[in-house]
Amino acid sequence: MKPTAHPRFGKGVKLRHDGDGSVMLLIPEGALVLNAPAAAALELVDGTRPLAEIIATVAERFDVSAGRAGEDILDLFERLEQRGLVQ
Amino acid sequence: MSAVPRPLSLLCELTYRCNLQCPYCYNPLDLRSYRDELTTEQWSGVLRQAADLGVVQAHFSGGEPTLRPDLVALVQAAAACGLYTNLITQGTFLDDVLLDRLVDGGLDHVQISIQAPQTALADRIAGATVHDKKLEALRRVLTRDVALTLNCVLHRLNHDSIEEIINFAQRLEIRRLELANVQFYGWAYRNRTALMPTLEQVRHGEQVVAAARERLRSAMEIVYVLPDYFGDFPKPCMNGWGRQFVTVTPNGYALPCPAAAGITTLAFENVRDRSLGEIWRESASFVRYRGTDWMPDPCRSCERRELDWGGCRCQAYLVTGDAGVTDPACSLSPDHASIVALRDAVSGAEPVYRRA
Repeated sequence: MKPTAHPRFGKGVKLRHDGDGSVMLLIPEGALVLNAPAAAALELVDGTRPLAEIIATVAERFDVSAGRAGEDILDLFERLEQRGLVQ
Repeated sequence: MSAVPRPLSLLCELTYRCNLQCPYCYNPLDLRSYRDELTTEQWSGVLRQAADLGVVQAHFSGGEPTLRPDLVALVQAAAACGLYTNLITQGTFLDDVLLDRLVDGGLDHVQISIQAPQTALADRIAGATVHDKKLEALRRVLTRDVALTLNCVLHRLNHDSIEEIINFAQRLEIRRLELANVQFYGWAYRNRTALMPTLEQVRHGEQVVAAARERLRSAMEIVYVLPDYFGDFPKPCMNGWGRQFVTVTPNGYALPCPAAAGITTLAFENVRDRSLGEIWRESASFVRYRGTDWMPDPCRSCERRELDWGGCRCQAYLVTGDAGVTDPACSLSPDHASIVALRDAVSGAEPVYRRA
């Protein structure tokens, strides 16, 4: 997935927030527990925001370099895209 | 283990009634014992209690769940509690009207099963003329805003068709395919000699799946459920007994595994008598094999004990008569020879079709 892409969730993919602050991605026949940066990135997925902007926002929020955050988040989106969870 | 884990998944077996007669069904043989089904209000209560316990997904299955006239109401009830909803169906009743009502009611995902990619073979396995109707249902679901998984249970009668199943899914542009080797419980255990794949089929199937995954990459996710009489280690059944999953049978019994009713040495409890939360936390049937303290050797000292969780209690009981021993599917089990014998006991006999 390129930084210029505008990711959106596939069918049957939903974020779930629990009272204790934990976030899960609910997917067909399963659930993925997300760490805080992954949750923050996926909360920004709306089909219109470019991936580059998502990366920059998460990098700023977690006070890491855009390069480092970019690698992790690109990797996350690529794995989700592979499974059809993000398009 | 001291802390009681949080259940994540509730399987609602709404009814064991079905218009198909698949001999690989995992439902129990005594289908008639389950006719006193929970009411809509009772199921709604179970869904609310499950959500309160921390469950995030509700799976509606059976039997054939669309035979329940209140299915839409139950999907709505689950969605209202914030649960992700999944319908596991063979699809023969999934017409436009029902599908629209389900999607409007908040259905997130549908799993439709076929018996084989070829109409004649599929109908022969189902014991009914239904394959073409399923095709219609699959096409219908693909046009709606709901996720779809195509499922095919693999056994000796259709194992040579894996490539055709994958091509069938690809022609329909299905995103997610589950190829699940039959698991031997209920009717499938009764029919095991007729359904057992050969070693050659299993090895060939693995190659076909690996090649298709490489070829299709992100176009299709292929979930391949391994045949559990053929590996070195057992499946981590339910990811551990009473650890993440709870099943409620049509007549209200809460089980740690859909096949657990076959274990006659445990007394299961009913949601008509006790709340789901109490049963989950306290019932001896859930506590008995939870965690690792119950394990005998070789599990007790095995480094895989929190990967396999001892394998499957139901399989241990079916094959050895003792639900508290290492799953004999494990190559380290002292009872493993029994599994090897079952695996090698292949017969050309016709399977017995499921009937009430």
